[in-house]
Amino acid sequence: MKLSRVGWAGLAALAASLVLFALTLGLKPNPLVPIGPGFYPRVVLGLSAVLAAALIAFDLYSIKQPGEGAKPNHALVLLVFVVFGIYISLMPGLGFRISTFFFVAALQSLLEPPKGVKGWVIVLATALITTLATHVLFERYLSVLLPRGRWTDF
Amino acid sequence: MYELLLSGIGNILQMKYLLPLAIGTLVGVVGGAMPGITNTMTVIMVLPFTFGLEPLQGLSVMIGVYVGGESGGLITSCLLGIPGKPSSVATMFDGFPMSQKGEPGRALWLGIWASFFGGLIGGVFLIGTTGPLASLALEFGPWEYFSLFVFALSMVAGLTGASITAGLLSGAIGLVITVLGNDPIFGAPRLTLGIAWLEGGIPFLPVLIGVFAFAQIMSDVEKLGGGRSDATRGFVAPRLLVSHLKVIWEILSRPFLLLWSSIVGLFIGVLPAIGGSAANVMAYDQAKKFSRHPERFGTGTPEGIIAAEASNNANIGGSLVTIMAFGIPGDAVTAVMLGALTIHGIQPGPLFISQEKTLAYGIFAAYLVAHLLMLVILFIGVRWFLRVVLVPKSILFPVILVLCVVGAYALNNTIANVYVLLLCGVLGYAMVKGGLPLAPLILGVILGDQIEINLVRSIMTDSNPWLFLTRPISGGLLAASVASMAFAFWQHRRAQKKSALAGGAADF
Repeated sequence: MKLSRVGWAGLAALAASLVLFALTLGLKPNPLVPIGPGFYPRVVLGLSAVLAAALIAFDLYSIKQPGEGAKPNHALVLLVFVVFGIYISLMPGLGFRISTFFFVAALQSLLEPPKGVKGWVIVLATALITTLATHVLFERYLSVLLPRGRWTDF
Repeated sequence: MYELLLSGIGNILQMKYLLPLAIGTLVGVVGGAMPGITNTMTVIMVLPFTFGLEPLQGLSVMIGVYVGGESGGLITSCLLGIPGKPSSVATMFDGFPMSQKGEPGRALWLGIWASFFGGLIGGVFLIGTTGPLASLALEFGPWEYFSLFVFALSMVAGLTGASITAGLLSGAIGLVITVLGNDPIFGAPRLTLGIAWLEGGIPFLPVLIGVFAFAQIMSDVEKLGGGRSDATRGFVAPRLLVSHLKVIWEILSRPFLLLWSSIVGLFIGVLPAIGGSAANVMAYDQAKKFSRHPERFGTGTPEGIIAAEASNNANIGGSLVTIMAFGIPGDAVTAVMLGALTIHGIQPGPLFISQEKTLAYGIFAAYLVAHLLMLVILFIGVRWFLRVVLVPKSILFPVILVLCVVGAYALNNTIANVYVLLLCGVLGYAMVKGGLPLAPLILGVILGDQIEINLVRSIMTDSNPWLFLTRPISGGLLAASVASMAFAFWQHRRAQKKSALAGGAADF
């Protein structure tokens, strides 16, 4: 018996539910009402734990079908998440405009490495246009203030 | 009612509403025509643009996107054999063969006009039933609301995905997200995990944007292997000239097909969180079953195109009814609309149509006018829209992610929402990889607080738990929840038997 991806998802959900359920036991009841702030979370987390356990059990006893088609490029997915994570981590320091310019250029280069000068011009032009267009449109016309950089004041 | 509707149409025809509606419809058509860009993704992209607009302007943009998107998807389905979005898959079955037989204009315009008529039938249902359903919902107490939300959640969990348990677990994860932060009744802090920004709870829009945008983008990213791989290189736009009167007559001479397909679309639309893709395929299947010549389906028969397209536009009307009468989103697009409304301090639900008459009838009017605009836009630009499929994903995805960041940040000008966006993006992608459907999660996040509030209110009013079963509407709704689960169980059991016969197995 071996867990498939569904089973692993169930296992992660079960672990998270049990940890959070344990945390709800520390919540103090409210003397003014019959049920306190921990009542509903316990119901929900208990339910999710039971469902997660059931999912694992069904997965263990189901017949696994072999995966089909091309192998997914998980390394690229991970890199996109990392680039996005760096982007939003640097945004409060660099500000929306600078971080967005670098993010758009970096992600484009990652998804489709530019070839030759023309490729780089397209990458940089897209990054610049995206940054300027979002800034002008949102700040000037839609009154949405985008983050200023703590380090750059820009 | 008719006076209010006429006044709503007059209102929408003012330039300040008509322009956002037209832009939304145009963006929807373009987004719909792009393979891999769903309506949810397009509406998420336009969401931040609506923050600075009046509520009706913002909703006009979104309704335009919704209507335009449902119709835009058929362009590439019919002409390139690539569905623009999941709700155009069945359109391709006959649209593309018809194009290959040398009638691309007929295939395309049959789809467009069927979308238009299906949309109008959906409009009649929307306008005619929202008020009465909202009046019915006004009779509800906390017991009935609790049971209604449980019914919605159980129905979605049962009907989406390949496994009932996975669907229910996904809904439960959505509910868990809503218990993080202060409790909604007394504001007592709970499960904040020591994170300061969790004290206010997790707003559902960043969750929705993160889950859907990342799940879709990353699913596409994992298929990228470097270099452009579109099937449209060297594409030459076909001749699309056609006699519109002839095409309209082809549709209207099949009134039963048009009406039944629209009813299927409406029914699917009313069911919470089940979108146009199910409507599109189900209506196609029904048309094939009722046809005297089912063998012609898949070879370029007009019935296939009419059924598929009428249903997915009628589906919009059904989805809007559910959100306007009960405050429950009919699908992911209306879930984003619900978020946009709450940003403007408007709570959709039974009181919405009586307290926000101008806005409610403005929505009806926008829905109807958007269908006319869709026709005009496609008439002018259909050849041009075929070119948009050539935009590389490497350019598209960074731009979409930037708009997602703006949408999450601008919600209340806090970077914490952007962190939620990333966390939920990881969660959404992990759930897709783990085989858990996303729709129940989103409905759980949207309804979680309301379920808790109504549960606590009902217990505080009367601690007798049997009231949930003995009050007729509440008991009926809970019985319907059990019935929907039983139906889903039966359906999955049947699928399992079929799968076992074919040499595989499905789980529960």
